[in-house]
Amino acid sequence: MPTKNCAWLRPIFFACLSLVVALPAAAQQQPPIRIGQTLSLTGPFAQTGLAHQIASEIFVERLNKSGGLLGRQVEYVVLDDQSKPDISRTLYEKLVTADKVDLILGPYGTAAILAAMTVAQRYHKVFVENTLGQPGLATYEWHFSATIGGADSTSTLPGKVLDAFNSTPHPPQNVLIVSSKFPSAQDMAHGMQRAADARNLKVLGFLEYEAGTRDYGTIAARIKDANPDFMFVACLGVEGSQILEALNKIGYKPTRHFYLYPSGLMAADPLADHATSYSGFEDVAPYTSTKEGGEFAAEYNARALKAGLPYPHVDSQAGNEYSGWQILVAGVKATNSLDDGKIAAWLDKNSVETIEGKRDFSGRSHTSASDTQQLKQAQNGKWVAIWPPEARTPGASLIAP
Amino acid sequence: MPSLSLLEQSLITGVLTGGLYGLLALGLSMSWGLLRLVNLGHFAIALLGAYITWWLGTAYGVAPWLAGAIIVVAFFIYGVALHWVFMRFAVTEMASMLITFALAVIVESTLQFIWTADFRRYETPWGSESWIVGSLYVPKLNLMAFLVACLLAGGTWAWLRYTYVGRALRACAEDAPIAIAYGINHRRLSFILSGLCAAYAGVAGVFIALVATLAPSQIWSWVGVVFAVVIIGRLGNPVGALAGGILIGVCEALTMAVINPSWAALVSFSVLIALLLFKPRWV
Amino acid sequence: MSVKASPGMGAALLAVVALAAVPATNIPPYYLAFLYLIFFWIAMATSWNILSGYAGYWSFGHAAFFGTGVYTSATLATKFGVPFLLTLPVAACVAALLGSAIGFVVFRLQRLRGELFALITISMTFVVATIISNTPIDGGSGVYLISVPLPEAFGSQNGTIYLLGLFMATLTIGTAWWVFRSKMGLGLFAIHDDEDVAEVKGVPTFRYKIAAFALSSGIAGAAGGVYSIYVSYVTVGETFEVTVIMYPVVMSIFGGSRHWLGPAFGAVIVTTALYGFAAGPQASLVRGGVALGLIVVVLLLPDGVMPSLQRWWRILLPGLAPRQVLPELLVPTPRATGAVLAQIAPPLLQCRDVTKTFGGVRALKGITLDVRPGEILGLVGPNGSGKSTLINVITGHFQLNAGSVTFDGTSIEGMPAHRVARLGIARSYQIPRPFNRLTVLGNVALAASFGGGVGEAEAERLASYWLTYTGLAKKAFDYPVQLNLHERKFLELARGLAARPRILLLDEVLSGLNNTEIDEALGLMRDIRDRGTTIIFVEHLMRAVVALSDRVAVLNNGALIAVGTPEETMRNPEVVSVYLGKAHAS
Repeated sequence: MPTKNCAWLRPIFFACLSLVVALPAAAQQQPPIRIGQTLSLTGPFAQTGLAHQIASEIFVERLNKSGGLLGRQVEYVVLDDQSKPDISRTLYEKLVTADKVDLILGPYGTAAILAAMTVAQRYHKVFVENTLGQPGLATYEWHFSATIGGADSTSTLPGKVLDAFNSTPHPPQNVLIVSSKFPSAQDMAHGMQRAADARNLKVLGFLEYEAGTRDYGTIAARIKDANPDFMFVACLGVEGSQILEALNKIGYKPTRHFYLYPSGLMAADPLADHATSYSGFEDVAPYTSTKEGGEFAAEYNARALKAGLPYPHVDSQAGNEYSGWQILVAGVKATNSLDDGKIAAWLDKNSVETIEGKRDFSGRSHTSASDTQQLKQAQNGKWVAIWPPEARTPGASLIAP
Repeated sequence: MPSLSLLEQSLITGVLTGGLYGLLALGLSMSWGLLRLVNLGHFAIALLGAYITWWLGTAYGVAPWLAGAIIVVAFFIYGVALHWVFMRFAVTEMASMLITFALAVIVESTLQFIWTADFRRYETPWGSESWIVGSLYVPKLNLMAFLVACLLAGGTWAWLRYTYVGRALRACAEDAPIAIAYGINHRRLSFILSGLCAAYAGVAGVFIALVATLAPSQIWSWVGVVFAVVIIGRLGNPVGALAGGILIGVCEALTMAVINPSWAALVSFSVLIALLLFKPRWV
Repeated sequence: MSVKASPGMGAALLAVVALAAVPATNIPPYYLAFLYLIFFWIAMATSWNILSGYAGYWSFGHAAFFGTGVYTSATLATKFGVPFLLTLPVAACVAALLGSAIGFVVFRLQRLRGELFALITISMTFVVATIISNTPIDGGSGVYLISVPLPEAFGSQNGTIYLLGLFMATLTIGTAWWVFRSKMGLGLFAIHDDEDVAEVKGVPTFRYKIAAFALSSGIAGAAGGVYSIYVSYVTVGETFEVTVIMYPVVMSIFGGSRHWLGPAFGAVIVTTALYGFAAGPQASLVRGGVALGLIVVVLLLPDGVMPSLQRWWRILLPGLAPRQVLPELLVPTPRATGAVLAQIAPPLLQCRDVTKTFGGVRALKGITLDVRPGEILGLVGPNGSGKSTLINVITGHFQLNAGSVTFDGTSIEGMPAHRVARLGIARSYQIPRPFNRLTVLGNVALAASFGGGVGEAEAERLASYWLTYTGLAKKAFDYPVQLNLHERKFLELARGLAARPRILLLDEVLSGLNNTEIDEALGLMRDIRDRGTTIIFVEHLMRAVVALSDRVAVLNNGALIAVGTPEETMRNPEVVSVYLGKAHAS
């Protein structure tokens, strides 16, 4: 990957020349199209940042192998925002005004995306992001969300979850909401509270914990004490597994449980059997049934294994990133141009085929028109798709008591 | 109102978590109190120890106690070497904090470079077993961490109190020039202590590997609470470090049980501030 | 303080104007954003240094004040529609108020120094974060500032934010410089070296610490306000992050916390290294490299980069080095009192039934003693008899438990030590306790300035005089560690004299001196008295006591057992028994 190797030298180069205002452009015959983004390669979100980086690299390589974009090769410029929104914003300024990349893609994480979007807005860059917690709140007119939850997923996803469990022989009579004090998780937890109230489902409690909680023993004790029919956990990363571990230590097994953004690792955890979560792309049919989806998944798994990731399987994070690239590149190809305005105008009116399904941006703030998120469940050490019924992994269904 | 069993279970959790806090605080308290070195790198090498335990265990099937033995020896040497650098350059209390902060960043970067930033879990068949007492559950691993913390704290306390080496160390901490005048070899003693502090971090690391989920950035999640524990327990007092850990652990657990888990930090740090302001005798 | 224009200030002004004009050029805006980050960290590190570097009170609560500012601006701008620029002074005020309130409680307790202060401030960070996170201020969902309007400078919001950052950095460095150069700065440095001595020498330590804390936290609050619009979405997790706590410390120490410009220098280097270079895909390696560099610098330059820079600077441009010439002497006008006057005037200092207990131990058991103006009173007694305690009570360092001390008609009961010092009571320490990081001249000038209540220039000239008087003129620009014991004792004396006290308490100035030095010192003490200063001196050396004292007071076990002329007291059987054992008395 020669492009990657010289990318990290560039900041040094630019810093050395920081007093030189005009940089002589290197004369090249067909310079590559440069597409830039920042990712949380270090810091607390580095786990997820890595998944996004792998997905991006796979997409760019596949694109270049199939002839590139507009007859030119594509160079992927990724910078590390250290999981900090202020650095993300600064680096987008750098990408746009100093590195002068042709196009940008959004970073990972709500805070970083919002910080970066102000830059995109200032320089009128089309801005495709794929992980904004509440994309309906974006105000920039050239913002396009690759998320599949629609503008109001904090309302629609909880409803969907309750629908799924209500379809089982014994629908839950009450719910306990456990939420990380992380903005997007918090919003979803409040959405669940509203959904439960609307359906007269008794809410046994609303437990909030700090993101850096070190010991989940007491939270587990409270869950056990409440003994809910359904446990809705708005968590991130391994928090879900930690809660399950703590529950196991006090001899409690939840009957029906949902985790918002679990790390892929959760599926492999025997304690997490029958845990549910939202899903956009997983390492099973039907997601891998398409040609591109299957190839992407296989390639991702191979690279994740090589990178030594503990759960070397493609997931929604990687899938979202990949479809974000698909959306941007579709805009370029259709307009045959790198003009941000033209691309935005085209995306505004058209739909794009991605590995996460057909996407349009007719929802508020250029989100998808409806919530097309699916639900998955951990079964025998793997995630399988279980909701909606028409998009199930063959042979799978929601297992609930 | 929370049920009685919930309160009892929280109490157990709090005490056991407090043991882990105490285990981490032990080395920090000793090096701060007796060597006047504030070692922010303590957390980093504890996590490094955890990663090594996990790595030896999952890649080579080395049992945690054996890994622990290797780590303790290696870290002891590291502690001695670190102290040699501190002595060689006559590092002050302030500067030691800065240097060890940088060391922590280096460890974090190294961990991420070798094992990626992704979460790591050390799965053991016996890792989540518990003893059941009535309606209460006592997780075996956490209990073991607690007992080891008690053992180390008590042992260190006795060592400092009853042995020549220990008394000499305390004398040096109180008045180095006079202690040296009485013929105490300050240098050699401080090397031993520094090595020991690092070894304690290694022991804490083994238990962190077994009970927690690992990620390089977690180095920083322990800093605030363990510093609080160190001060509550009084600098250089091993039993105090453990007692401080239990106090904070119980405060956190009871807040989580009675109010809402997210208020835990407020209550434990308010307790700390109150202790500092209205200093009872034992602080 | 009057500020005269100097070439340095001109250059600084020019630099600020040039930086302010940068957005008008067609420089890629990335550099503006990057410079903003540098300005931001300059403001954070430099403001941290005003309390923590100057006075040595390491605060780990800078994130609390920064966060208070962030959320004050964010809340006012989004929930109350206050124009954004107006929220910034409010953010500064709220943060400064929080800082002052914490300081008001914490600084009263003398034991909360050093690591305990560090701990209480880090606890405040967690407390503030938890409160914001669990109340409607944030509630856990973060606050969006995307639609908050901001006036545009040079045609973009970027320009405005850049200018705000530049303004904050300039203001902060200016404040740090002003404090550094002011009397307050001198006082803060003295607090850093030895707070108790500083207070006794007349430094209003409590007030200065509060002021420094308020400045420090207020600036952090304003910087937080600007930051909130820069990131446009604020969350508790990212606002109260460990880097916000640690980076100001790292930058200040790296740059040199003793100098007003040190933290700014450190901020530029560290920010450039961390954000400029460590952004590529190999970020983790580069970060590790930066940390390694930090270790090397700290090991080789323990006082930070700034002192070395100054050294090189002086070698390169010898003309700009400060000239180490003693200021012109200012001869203090002697007070027209002599020993004769002492007989008719009312007592200068009256101790009535002075009692002081520590825990259960009574160190002073009701001492009643008058000191007459212009006399030399010898205070003797065996070790532990309460002499030093009495001195500490008279100087206001210890509050007494019962009885009263009246100085020239004013009761000093409950009065802070610095005000006692200003009344005209000065002391020297048995084991010299100079301010180690101030020059010999600085040590004496501080006493003249705070104890004597004179202006800065006058204080230096007076200090020169007293240094010449005590024979230390040649050492004026040395640091106390470079002095031998004899010289340090005389430095103690010079510090005491420079405050122009009406009463001077000397605690064993003669111990450890040889015979020639003792004779020299006795001569000085007589001369001091002849210039109108009353002297109380504690001494074990009987030869000196008999030779010098007009009267002798003998303490034993916290009680006054005899007062009178040296001859009278030496014949007192109780005194003899105390000094020579019971056998001789009977």
